[in-house]
Amino acid sequence: MGETILNMIGIEKSFGSVKALDNIDFNLEQGEIHALVGTNGAGKSTLVKILSGVYTKDAGEVRIAGEPVEIATPRDAVNCGVAAVQQHPELVPNLTGYENIFLGREHYNPGLFRKVNRRALRARADELSKQFPISIDLDRKVSRLSVVERELLAILHSLTRQDIRILTLDEPTSTLTEKEQESLFSLMRALKNRGISIIYITHRLEEVFTVADRFTIFRGGRRITTMSSEQAVQSTKSLAEMMLGKALGDVYPAKKEAAALENEPGETVLKVEGLSFGESFKEVSFKACKGEILGIYGLVGSGISELSKVLFGVLRPGEGTMVFKGEKLVLKNPGKALRRGIFLIPRDRRVEGLTLERDVLFNLTLANLKKASGLGGFVKVRKTWQEGARLAEIVTLEPPNLATKAGNFSGGNQQKIVIAKGLYTEADLYIFVEPTAGVDIGARSTVYALIRELSKTSAVIVMSSDCDEVHGLADRATALYKGKQVLAPTAEVPRDQLLVAGIMGNEERKRCQV
Amino acid sequence: MPGLKRVSPLFIRTVAYLMVLCLIAGVFTWFAPQFMTAGNLATILRHLAADGFAALGLTFVIVVARYEVSFPGVVCFVAMAMGFLISGGLSLPLAFIGGVLICAGVGAINGIAVSYLKLNDMVSTIAVGSLAGGGAFLFNGGQSFFKNFVSCGLLRLNDAKFAGINISVYLLIGVYFVAWLILHRSRFGRVFYATGENPTSATYSGINVRAVTFWAYLICSVLMALVALMLMAETGMANVHIGSGCMMAAYTGVFLGAALFGGAGVPATFAGTLLIAVILNGFNLLSVPYYWSDAVLGVVLVLGIVAFHKDGVNRLKNVFKAKKKAQDRAVEISDSDNNLRLERVK
Repeated sequence: MGETILNMIGIEKSFGSVKALDNIDFNLEQGEIHALVGTNGAGKSTLVKILSGVYTKDAGEVRIAGEPVEIATPRDAVNCGVAAVQQHPELVPNLTGYENIFLGREHYNPGLFRKVNRRALRARADELSKQFPISIDLDRKVSRLSVVERELLAILHSLTRQDIRILTLDEPTSTLTEKEQESLFSLMRALKNRGISIIYITHRLEEVFTVADRFTIFRGGRRITTMSSEQAVQSTKSLAEMMLGKALGDVYPAKKEAAALENEPGETVLKVEGLSFGESFKEVSFKACKGEILGIYGLVGSGISELSKVLFGVLRPGEGTMVFKGEKLVLKNPGKALRRGIFLIPRDRRVEGLTLERDVLFNLTLANLKKASGLGGFVKVRKTWQEGARLAEIVTLEPPNLATKAGNFSGGNQQKIVIAKGLYTEADLYIFVEPTAGVDIGARSTVYALIRELSKTSAVIVMSSDCDEVHGLADRATALYKGKQVLAPTAEVPRDQLLVAGIMGNEERKRCQV
Repeated sequence: MPGLKRVSPLFIRTVAYLMVLCLIAGVFTWFAPQFMTAGNLATILRHLAADGFAALGLTFVIVVARYEVSFPGVVCFVAMAMGFLISGGLSLPLAFIGGVLICAGVGAINGIAVSYLKLNDMVSTIAVGSLAGGGAFLFNGGQSFFKNFVSCGLLRLNDAKFAGINISVYLLIGVYFVAWLILHRSRFGRVFYATGENPTSATYSGINVRAVTFWAYLICSVLMALVALMLMAETGMANVHIGSGCMMAAYTGVFLGAALFGGAGVPATFAGTLLIAVILNGFNLLSVPYYWSDAVLGVVLVLGIVAFHKDGVNRLKNVFKAKKKAQDRAVEISDSDNNLRLERVK
């Protein structure tokens, strides 16, 4: 490790009224792997996007090798020697590996119809694969390569400029298996040995100790601390605590009392035992009861998204049993799940939850058209209108205009429409996936209050990658880590225990002494 | 409905449409005074029947956001089949039932291919259409059928009148009304629209998207039996090319209607088809050669889509702006770092 290659001083960035970055100082040394860790919305991605020219900073200074630079566009960033690899790299699936590496930087034969000089490309690609430990068949088409191989290609692609000194990786491992991770890490180490500095965003603490030299913890747009991996192992302070900070209690509605949870358990609506779905999740067991909220905490790639789809009949489970209100549950499709009384409030509400070009009323009734129509299947306009107005009032839709297109509402109000659509089905089990993704702070507490209200008459499962959300909302919480259930559903789980379970699995805990 | 304070956009669009229709009628009357006679207006309505049914069938497929191009071939095939049955001495209702069954079969093939086998809708319906069109030759070696056509009462469908208007017009309006009830007033219609506009959210709302797509193709094809019937009644025979003209008319009717009324639907299709029938009739009276009519329809379709699209004019402006921008940028950025420009656009 040597001199400092990058200085970011007093960086500020706001989105509307939300301060995403607050006076951030950040240093990067030459030839180090520096991990940025923090929960959702901590500001780590924003910082990297400012460095790579995707966002423009509001205030502050960036110096590369001591020289102040202005980075306004991704092109400026590349000219300054900063290469960014996206979370889902965009490659051309019908071209081969080496063609993708040199995409846009091909050798052309001279002439009227300039033809790509494949032999020269091939030679350069061979040279690259000699330099770096990659075992990819570069003659294969990208569409036939695995996720990690694409990731590696994207990194090589960004390095085809000779003068790249800083590489940023945004959560590259979220969908990789452990073995695949290793090949990514070995490439990262090889790059480090050539003097390239790497900024690496991750959710998972255990990776930090495997590959990073130093790491910086972000929380709520602030830099909490920077330390080396060795320091962290010796440190007595809990990393989880540093990532989470103080709990914001007031956003969340009051939970069911602990004594009531113990003594007057609600009727068990759904009981899941040993449920598995391919590689996505394995041996998951829990039960959801009327009157309480079950929280499931899991990051991207933990399997919560697949789990929600299995419970709603979008995907069919591999093994395990689901018992719904005392009967074995076999779901062929979401229609069947709805008829049995299960409603999913999906993660991507704009795609999965709403027909954006249609008005609120159309969306509200869509999941239960039988109820909305009478004899011969004709829609009862007046009745649905009254019912819709009642539901809009319950979910406090703003503005409460049922004739407005769903696409014209804000994220929070769109979520309220989906919840109202669920209310219209009168389900016995509501499954929320990332209930407040893209929902502004103001609407958040309303959504939480609605979820709590729902739990009084039905069973509710909340799945989220936001640890605070699960902790603040759920009566019982469990966690998935890379498809494994690492925490049995328990009441009153401490926040840091939940976080540690979700970001590094339980067994890792002692090794890192967090 | 309560809650509506402003003038509904639908009302504005309807007024605009009627104005366009009157304007066109006025122009034709100016140049060909016989346009505005009761006889000619009845003729327009009578000609509307065949194209109207074809456009109505297509509407169902367009609403689920798919395409269907097999219907001209299907009309030829089913017309020949019905002609074969009638010539063989079968009564008209029985022959028509036979035609409906054949159409349902073809529609089921289309529907299964597109929804369950997930084949490309264009390619598979082209294949089915040309199979049917070729199959039409099998009945009589390419010769027309006209035996028994008068005696079975087929021609009365075209000629008979009630209160001065042809029976076929009542049939058309009746079928349109039923289709309107289904598509716009029942829960089944909601399901069709939900499937076409966002199949993922439809699936998550418990709708069997594949089955809905299948039914759209089935309904579309079944209506083609009516198209064939109307064409046979109009021409007094069944030949192997009888349906080849309905492709352009149906697509123009549906898409012009959708442009005029902000989305495909039964009233929109009716409006679009009527407008086209008026234009074609007017050109006919002015003795414009028939080969001009397709070109005129094409122009009308494009103009209609641009003029009535909610930001069609803006988009047109943007195209020219983007062109200028691209030129500016091309000067600024040299070819060598092409990829960077791509990144920037992203």
